[in-house]
Amino acid sequence: MSILTIRGLRGGYSEVDILNGIDLDLDDGEILTVAGTNGAGKSTLAKAIVGLLPRSSGTISFMGKDIMPLSAEARMGLGMGYVPQVANVFANLSILENLQVVAGSSRQRIDELFETFPLLAERRRMRAGSLSGGERQQLAFARALVPKPRLMLLDEPTAALSPNKVADSFALIRRLPSLGVSVLIVEQRARQSLAISNRGCILDSGLVALEGDAKTLLADEKAAELYLGNIGASH
Amino acid sequence: MYFAQLAVNGLVQGLVISLAAMSITLVFGIVRFPNAATGDVMTVGAFSGLVVYPMTGSLLASGIFAVIVTAAVALISHLLVFRRLAGRSVVALLVASIGVGFVLRSIMGLVFGHQPMVFSMPLSRPYRIGGLAINPLDLQLALLAAVMLALAFAVLHLTPIGRQMRAVADNPSLARVSGIRSGRVLAALWVLAGAIAGAGGVMLGVKTVVNPEMGWDMLMPAFAAAIFGGIGSPAGALLAGLILGVVQEMSTPFVGFTYKIALSFAIMLVVLLRRPTGLLGRIEGVR
Repeated sequence: MSILTIRGLRGGYSEVDILNGIDLDLDDGEILTVAGTNGAGKSTLAKAIVGLLPRSSGTISFMGKDIMPLSAEARMGLGMGYVPQVANVFANLSILENLQVVAGSSRQRIDELFETFPLLAERRRMRAGSLSGGERQQLAFARALVPKPRLMLLDEPTAALSPNKVADSFALIRRLPSLGVSVLIVEQRARQSLAISNRGCILDSGLVALEGDAKTLLADEKAAELYLGNIGASH
Repeated sequence: MYFAQLAVNGLVQGLVISLAAMSITLVFGIVRFPNAATGDVMTVGAFSGLVVYPMTGSLLASGIFAVIVTAAVALISHLLVFRRLAGRSVVALLVASIGVGFVLRSIMGLVFGHQPMVFSMPLSRPYRIGGLAINPLDLQLALLAAVMLALAFAVLHLTPIGRQMRAVADNPSLARVSGIRSGRVLAALWVLAGAIAGAGGVMLGVKTVVNPEMGWDMLMPAFAAAIFGGIGSPAGALLAGLILGVVQEMSTPFVGFTYKIALSFAIMLVVLLRRPTGLLGRIEGVR
């Protein structure tokens, strides 16, 4: 069953369209990687889904409900979680406050998340701006998980991480479906991301160029040549 | 001892500046524009207090009434003007705030006239501590300001709405995708900023004379303190207001009453040349 259905999605930041008519489906419990070259529209697609793109048209249905008329705040209230690529924590608030400010937060839920992320529990009074890249990423994930979302959108979740933290991040993402969370990842490290995904799609110039089973995409010579780079190059 | 006495006097003056600066810095930190109507909201506070004081004889009752009125005025200005201009340029919002201030000043002039008015406070004997003379009225005013400032910090750091205000100031987009409803947060912000300005207005009215222009005259020192403290930093606004108040008073023997404000601006200029973000500022938002 599809949890997210996108049809004919167009949009951009100014008058020029970056998304040129995207059709995409994400099934319940699935991990979907969205890959593509720089400027293909990957992050713009994530922003359009969560309602942060200034201008967009087409249809986006989330759990069967048309969310295009809804604000970003209302979309989150329906069960979406979003981790932006940069500025993904409230830098001037403490770790605890980062979790407390999220709509629907409760002491019990924060305790649950501190069990999942024990490092954050130890440092709960620290200012988020003083955390390392990996710690910030954990906090960003925890913040997005506070309202128990059904869908998580992750924009380049490994971009700011040191190589030894990248595997940890992908391991965490792989666990999300077991918590009842479907995942859409926008990722430059396409091979690693596809390796933990059920399906993948590759954007080119704001359109879906290739789409299919993740393993098939990884084995596809055309995809490898044009979009995924040489094996190992993205590691 | 003479300079110590001036410093004590300056602290009370500094608390008035701090309250005005905090109101400005709260709005700037979240809505991102310098609210030039702050001084006139202070004037509304002073006149509101002046209306109630003869009836009650209580400075506390006057202060509470003034805070309620100015909180309402600030909220109405948000609902009628600033909310409708959301997303416009800083200049557009600044000009709109000058207009709001002008309207408030005109209303005060129409209702109360332009003759200076005063709070008829009873005479009191100053407390003698060491060689310092401390006016009981100044103590009451300092207490009022301290309570107001403590309340503002408590709201910002200990309540859910305060944390949400700081989150919106820190990262507005992330606040939206965290499900924080900006409408509620902005309404609370304007109520808080208006209440703080109102308390400052009562203090200013008690210390000087009340007329429709009094708040406008206060605006420059208040802006100076907000910038000096680090725009968007309430703690910086408090500290900078106190420093400016003390420096102004202590410079009076050297430069006279007329130029004491200029000296504090000169000090602010030197500090900003050395530290452009102000005393506690990072130019990121309310923290």
